[in-house]
Amino acid sequence: MKKVLSILLVLVMAASLAACVTGKNGNSGNTVDNNSADNGGTANAPANTSEGGNTLTVWCWDPAFNIYAMQEAEKVYQKTNPDFKLNIIETPWEDVQTKITTAASSGDLSTLPDIFLMQDNAFQKNYINFPEVFTDLTDSGIDYDSFAQAKAAYSVIDGKNYGVPFDNGTGIDCLRTDILKQAGYTIDDFKDITWDRYIEIGKDVLAKTKMPLLSSQAGSPDLIMEMLQSCGQSLFKEDGSPNIVENQALTEAINVYTTMVKEGILVEVNDWDQYVGTFTNGTVAGTINGCWILASIQTAADQSGKWALTNVPSLKDISNATNYTNNGGSSWGISTNCKNVDLAVDFLSKTFAGSVEFYETILPSSGALATYLPAGKSEVYAQPSEFFGGQKVYADITEFAGKVPSNITGVYYYEARDAVGTAMTNVVSGADLESELKNAEDTVKFQMGQ
Amino acid sequence: MKSKKKSMGLSKRRNLIGWIFLLPAVLLICGMSFYPMIRALVLSFRTGVGANMKFTGFYNYIRMLQDKVFIQALFNNFFYLIIQVPIMLLLALVLASMLNDKDVKFKGLFRTAIFLPCATSLVSYAIIFRALFALDGFINTMLIKIGILDVPINWLGNAQTAKTVIILALIWRWTGYNMVFYLAGLQNIEYSIYEAAEIDGASPFHQFGRITIPLLKPMILLTAIMSTNGTLQLFDESVNLTNGGPANATITMSHYIYKMSFEYSPNFGYSTAMSFVVLILVAVLAFIQMKTGDKR
Repeated sequence: MKKVLSILLVLVMAASLAACVTGKNGNSGNTVDNNSADNGGTANAPANTSEGGNTLTVWCWDPAFNIYAMQEAEKVYQKTNPDFKLNIIETPWEDVQTKITTAASSGDLSTLPDIFLMQDNAFQKNYINFPEVFTDLTDSGIDYDSFAQAKAAYSVIDGKNYGVPFDNGTGIDCLRTDILKQAGYTIDDFKDITWDRYIEIGKDVLAKTKMPLLSSQAGSPDLIMEMLQSCGQSLFKEDGSPNIVENQALTEAINVYTTMVKEGILVEVNDWDQYVGTFTNGTVAGTINGCWILASIQTAADQSGKWALTNVPSLKDISNATNYTNNGGSSWGISTNCKNVDLAVDFLSKTFAGSVEFYETILPSSGALATYLPAGKSEVYAQPSEFFGGQKVYADITEFAGKVPSNITGVYYYEARDAVGTAMTNVVSGADLESELKNAEDTVKFQMGQ
Repeated sequence: MKSKKKSMGLSKRRNLIGWIFLLPAVLLICGMSFYPMIRALVLSFRTGVGANMKFTGFYNYIRMLQDKVFIQALFNNFFYLIIQVPIMLLLALVLASMLNDKDVKFKGLFRTAIFLPCATSLVSYAIIFRALFALDGFINTMLIKIGILDVPINWLGNAQTAKTVIILALIWRWTGYNMVFYLAGLQNIEYSIYEAAEIDGASPFHQFGRITIPLLKPMILLTAIMSTNGTLQLFDESVNLTNGGPANATITMSHYIYKMSFEYSPNFGYSTAMSFVVLILVAVLAFIQMKTGDKR
């Protein structure tokens, strides 16, 4: 008896894991009973959408950035619609994703807000899995022509628009001008160059100043993905099948990366904080990333005036290679749980998709760069930045943003990204590139199979 | 009516009252735990995109055999289990019998200090270990200052050392927890047995091997099963300390299941199937441990 009981006890303990996965997600369709515990919390909270009225509920995550932008947008819209109110709920991106997955797979969308912010890279995945969550905005009157085309493409599926573009992740190459000077270079030596030239200069800078040019998070293929997009490529073909083994741009990108690690031009660190630390502490002479990295760079107040930025290097011998790329960014979506779609559309089209004044307000304090092209012509964007030695960084970035080639994100973006990250790590520690890419493609194909 | 009540008898009535008291808890467990488990089992036989799922029998379970990442994760879990659990339990035993000695001073202080790691949050301790073992972290700096190392070791960037760091972290976090179980068990062993052994000329080492371990066997069995269960479900360390890296060298099954459900294009059928494999593994291992360890 004792034994039976103890085995039962162990089973219960272990099963809590199994129950955890479904406890949150219920079964396939119509029943919602077994996640009532989950919903109970939010149902009473003001997470529900408003019935008619003049209030919209929003999920977004960064108080200094997108939440702030939403608050400013509310103020702008209140000028024409004084009764309008936003109910902004701070929800980290991981939670937005989990909550949408939970709501959609249980078939109960009533917990979703009116408007949610979504990572661009996750847009396709969520639409393909849960099309019932998204409201079609194609003919809603939002002027998509005024956005950078590559940016708007993230939330376009089958020629239809499901999102309003927000922040910009245009790739920039930020460099310490004081260190370049010691080695006899200027920022202009980095403009419109290839990666080969970048490595050449990198070696020289390393020899003369003992400073590597770059740092990156080990195992995270951000740089590789940026190089791919700079040629309009991604890890997927147009038909959605993985494009890894025969992808010349990818092979070249991993080669460039491996060379940089071996030459000591690029130092790999293990987590994000260390990565930010490498340039704020001055252990590396620059960084390449999406332009949102500006906020982190500018935390090092003692380096003010010592930075400059330019466009990113391009891959040599790859067709369509450019010096422009993108990393990250997010877009607003309107959920099908929204009872007042007209209001939500009108609000977004008069703020995020129609108000230069709005973008002028949010830029100086949050650094939220628009992909809304008319805003780039505003005077606020042409203000020189003291931190970047008087460079008009925002105008420059907006100019780059318009030239970024668009690519296919793919539904299985995160799977492919992880697989390529694994391949990259193995190649850097000496494995054979070709067989690693084969492995990566097999892994992605496996995970794509249902 | 009256006669019927009488025929129930005293013991039967007491039993009935007992069951009525148990009923609320039983219902709650059934509703909150067993019902989702059964739904999960059903779900593990289905597959599909998003909310449109079809019944496909054992497909998910067969599919797992071809999943390189899952097999790697399984291997990692067993690696942690085989290396970490014995070291931790032995260490806990040694510490417990040392701190059970009547003549040791500041016993309470030491016991508290060793138990304390167990009170820290899993996430925060994992992040602290990540910082300690960073390239320019405390451990590297110390080793270089002392003169053991010339160049810093990239602890978390190398498969073997990353696994070692996770094992070290686990030992730090859980040894005190198991020690408390052993200390409780040791209170039931008469001190006079040790005194008798001492008179007979048994060394402390002998006493430990011949008295402490055999008498603590039920406790050791309990802790072994709990540790096995915990190690196979390891999640926080893999996510926060190494993020599964480098190149999936430290990823655990639970971490992969989470990724499958919420990071990747969600595949709940497959995720629950993997969870059930973890369940079966734990059940089988617990059964083996009971068969070999419990000879009462």
